[in-house]
Amino acid sequence: MSEVGHTESVSTGSAEISVVLVDEPERRFGSEVAHFAIRNTKFLIGLSVVLFFLVLAIVGPWLTDAEPFEFGFPTGEPPSSEYWLGTTAPGQDVFAQFVYGLRASFVVGAVAGLVAATIGMAVGFTAGYRGGVIDDVLSMLTNVVLVIPTLAVLIIVSAYLSVSSLLGEAVLIGLTSWPWAARAIRAQTFTLTSREFVSLARLSGRRGGKIIVTEIAPNMSSYLFLVMILLFGSSILIAATLDFLGLGPANVMSLGLMLNLAVSNAALQLGMWWWFIPPGIAITAIVGGLYVLNVGLDEVFNPKLRET
Amino acid sequence: MATRRNRRAAGAIALVVALATAASLLTAGGAGAGSQSPFALPRQETLYTSGKQWGPYTGFNPLRTGDYSTGTLGLLYETLFRYDPLKDEFVPWLATGGKWVGRNYVLTVRNGVKWNDGKPFTAADVKFTFETGKLTGSEYSTMWKTGLTGITTKGNVVTFKFGGRPNFQDWDTILYTMAMVPKHIWSQYSATEITTGNADENFVGTGPFTYAAGKGGSQTLQWNRRNGWWATKAYGLRMPMKYIVDIHNTSNTASLQNFLQDKIDLSNNFFPGIDKQIGGKIQTYYAKAPYMLSANTAWLVPNTTKAPLSDRAFRRALAMSINVDRIVTADYGNIVAKANPTGLLPTWNKWIDQAQAKKLGFKYNVAGAKAILAANGYKDTDGDGYVEGKSGGDINLRLIVPNGWSDWQTAIQIIADSAKDAGIKITPAYPDYNSLVDERNSGKFELVINNDKQLANSPYSYYDYLFHLPISETMTVVNFQRFTQAGAAPWALTLKFNKVKSTNVKLAKKYQSQIQKYILDYLPAIPLWYNGMWAQYNTSVWTNFPKARGKGLQTTPTTWNGYLNMTGIEALANLKRNT
Amino acid sequence: MTRYLARKITIYLLTFFVAVTIDWAIPRLMPGNPIDGLISRINADPAASEELHGFFTKSFELDQPLWKQYVNFWWGLLHGDLGPSIAYVGSRVDELIWAALPYTLALLVPAIVLSYIAGNRVGAMAARRKVLDNTVLPVAYVLTATPYVFLALLLAYFVAFQWQLLPVSGAYDFSLQPAWTPEFAQSFLSHWILPFLSLFLVSFGGWAIGMRNLIIYELEADYANYLQSLGTPNRLVRKYAYSNAVLPQMTGLALALGVIVGGALVTEIVYGYPGVGSLLLTAIQNRDYFLLQGIFLFIIIGVLIANFVVDLLYVVVDPRTRTGLQGQQ
Repeated sequence: MSEVGHTESVSTGSAEISVVLVDEPERRFGSEVAHFAIRNTKFLIGLSVVLFFLVLAIVGPWLTDAEPFEFGFPTGEPPSSEYWLGTTAPGQDVFAQFVYGLRASFVVGAVAGLVAATIGMAVGFTAGYRGGVIDDVLSMLTNVVLVIPTLAVLIIVSAYLSVSSLLGEAVLIGLTSWPWAARAIRAQTFTLTSREFVSLARLSGRRGGKIIVTEIAPNMSSYLFLVMILLFGSSILIAATLDFLGLGPANVMSLGLMLNLAVSNAALQLGMWWWFIPPGIAITAIVGGLYVLNVGLDEVFNPKLRET
Repeated sequence: MATRRNRRAAGAIALVVALATAASLLTAGGAGAGSQSPFALPRQETLYTSGKQWGPYTGFNPLRTGDYSTGTLGLLYETLFRYDPLKDEFVPWLATGGKWVGRNYVLTVRNGVKWNDGKPFTAADVKFTFETGKLTGSEYSTMWKTGLTGITTKGNVVTFKFGGRPNFQDWDTILYTMAMVPKHIWSQYSATEITTGNADENFVGTGPFTYAAGKGGSQTLQWNRRNGWWATKAYGLRMPMKYIVDIHNTSNTASLQNFLQDKIDLSNNFFPGIDKQIGGKIQTYYAKAPYMLSANTAWLVPNTTKAPLSDRAFRRALAMSINVDRIVTADYGNIVAKANPTGLLPTWNKWIDQAQAKKLGFKYNVAGAKAILAANGYKDTDGDGYVEGKSGGDINLRLIVPNGWSDWQTAIQIIADSAKDAGIKITPAYPDYNSLVDERNSGKFELVINNDKQLANSPYSYYDYLFHLPISETMTVVNFQRFTQAGAAPWALTLKFNKVKSTNVKLAKKYQSQIQKYILDYLPAIPLWYNGMWAQYNTSVWTNFPKARGKGLQTTPTTWNGYLNMTGIEALANLKRNT
Repeated sequence: MTRYLARKITIYLLTFFVAVTIDWAIPRLMPGNPIDGLISRINADPAASEELHGFFTKSFELDQPLWKQYVNFWWGLLHGDLGPSIAYVGSRVDELIWAALPYTLALLVPAIVLSYIAGNRVGAMAARRKVLDNTVLPVAYVLTATPYVFLALLLAYFVAFQWQLLPVSGAYDFSLQPAWTPEFAQSFLSHWILPFLSLFLVSFGGWAIGMRNLIIYELEADYANYLQSLGTPNRLVRKYAYSNAVLPQMTGLALALGVIVGGALVTEIVYGYPGVGSLLLTAIQNRDYFLLQGIFLFIIIGVLIANFVVDLLYVVVDPRTRTGLQGQQ
């Protein structure tokens, strides 16, 4: 392996994304990052896709009078100028379901990502900074949770708890997705802890927690940002799967729930592609956009990766 | 550094694992399927059915009426009589006749019937079967607690002795629903096995088919036609198919796929959107809406012990705010029909006091619902669009249906959406089936949709369902709504009606008209629509399925529990190969 | 090497112990009582229900104190007995799982192995050629971002419903019985190919991207530059780069197992494939404690074994672990 840094392979959702760790403490951002960011195609593509759907999620509900659970529309209509994404078999407006579903997906992704990031940081920083026995214990804990298939646990727990709110679902997902973030953060923390500026801070009598917050974290802020993007993406994927299985909140429209309703109402057999293809494409596009955005930003932050 | 040799080794390990998997798969697949015949069945001699069996094929006890696998009662076991709901007639089956002599019921057992192990079916078997009702946990214990005192046999005559006036309506029902089991086999089983177990390993019955394969976790259940079925001599009935294979359902949509590909002949699944497929080789009982016969009433059952559902004015407003037509057209594509305000099925039309129902029955009327709410103290004081209770508290009614019943899930969403217009807040929820049953039976629920009570020989079961007393801590079969507000009167009338012979039409109508008035006035439960006797036929291999038009074809076209022993058996015997 | 393996085994045993305990605890901590559900299905009158309640509670040993149930659980586990099923009355949990397991493995093992190999190869090729990179990479990103569920639905919709090329639901045609006949084999394969493909394609995307990024990174490393400046043929340099890149990918394989198992569960449910996923769904719908516990246990054991296999492979592939030098963390 090379001397500059080492790679940490992480799995998020269905991705095998490598995030590169760098030994050098990072300089002030400002215009340098922005300069490279704007010129990075991956960053731009990813960002525009995600922004498009975000805007649609925010503005969409204002564009339509219909509610996602409102009936009374013609049944099983394909997309037309009046019903932009058509109607469902029992007569609901697919576009209304779609935009409200987008909102739900973004909310769950953000909250779950935040929860997972928080726990991951707590565990990762502590393990990486303290080392020794604490590190061994936390690492063992992380490895144990890491090995257990997240989805299996979530399926079982959600089935029993009957999740009834988006926040509940998001918290559950966050509580199971933190391990890889913890591992990645821990590895990076290790590297930084061995640097002189941290030893200096220690000598000056600062307490561990303060050192983490004031010295270490800011120096890996770009890395933390990338980790959060990946957590956001993987949470959306997991939520979509849970909702499809009917284990998400039943009275909140989400993209996964649209897939569930379409399948159980024989949309596949009856050829109602407009009911399940838009939500599926939306999830794929948002998550894909986030991954591409992540890679682009990685290149921006780490000069070694930039293609000349 | 990884050498080519090492990488090859790694690849080899992986491939071996994959191959081992594939090998174990085929052997384990055989074990899992649990079936014996090594070759596929000839298509032209096999009738494929689906739609009844959602759980695994583990139950074969016909005395547990809710739990047995497809065809256990009907194909393997039989009943003393069968009932034709469309003609309202009893067909003598294992019995040749029965009549009331004072307080005793005298039954004549048919001669020449043999169990499929060769032994003769006798009066002793009948006595044995009825006496299992005395065992703890039996579903037939009620008759022993409400009048039946003893059974005697002489030759092929069975005499049932009653103390006190018998419950005629109940008795009629038992005659065509209780399966006759062989004494020489079942006397070896323990009491628990008979009443609540599934221990039958022998499959000895009088019916036209014998068990062939599929017990356990198999995808299919196979019945083979047997020789020596008594009805061939007695009625000239012959089963045209050598094999009946019932297919375990994983989902309605999966079965739809197989049905459209001609792999299933008779499907009793609910198929969303089937109304768009009917025509050509896909047929149903009626050629036009509602396409299906009505099998049971879907009631909106309110928990009458909880406010505001305890207020009958509120219940009426709730009933008037539900747009059932939308459920019928949008959710079901017109394969169901809206229910009569009394909730009684169309086959009981002659018992319904139609004039009274028209006068007192509720109709969909949002403005009217709002007026009733306002007049009874339900106002929207906080402006959120929903009314609050009389004491000011929020009203948010939880309406539950089993998870996975997609048509009902959509239906309660429609109900919530339409009740919103009248200002009543309803929140749909979809707990798993067992949790729902628990919530309903223990009285914790608020609103639930239920259609347990099926088509039967008399509306008695419906009156029992609505007004049964007393209320216990858990209500497992009837009166989930725990209705007591009209006092003892409606139940007393129901009990009186139970003691009326169905031949006494005048008295039967008189009592029923009074009972129906209680239904219309009090709305102990709100009748919504008639669930269909789902039956879709694919006529590419078999034809002559039950139809509204056609001589002798008016039979019950479904394999659901309790319908084969109506006229389902005739439906099967009438089928012809499509050459 | 022994120290490395010993350490790994210790971690796995610990994980196993913790996982088994969690597995046993979860159903018992959750609201709801499985016996009530079972009773409701028997339409007995209230007096009989009471008696039956006691009867079932006893026969499922739910009246024992918790610690005793826990001990009994371990005892049964070591004997391969996972208890009776509540949903499938009359069957033992281990019977049901063994019957369903081969179908899940038939999907998982080829999907994992083939997507890993193919993904790595294609990713490495893409890292070399710009043209390939520009076509393969976007496709791989789309694939890896697609939820397993959606790809399964898309394949089912187009291939099975619109074009009617392949069947959906079941592992083989229901009119056939399992046997070593070409007819059965053909039916089995035609039911298998779509669920396999949906698992394969999504995972393939992830591996391809990962490998491509790693190769690029390796090719930029100092040693690669040094070799190139010495005039080493590009092919040899690429070979070294590939060998180095394989290591973190292998670590990633262990991590990805948990994800693809989840994907297999959902794919089975979409296609009605009678594997462990469909069994899990039935267990949930029937609140079958014992079946749920058993399935979860199998999943954990399976994943741990797979992780261990990967660790063994890692030893084969990375000589540093054999000599006790630095290796994966």
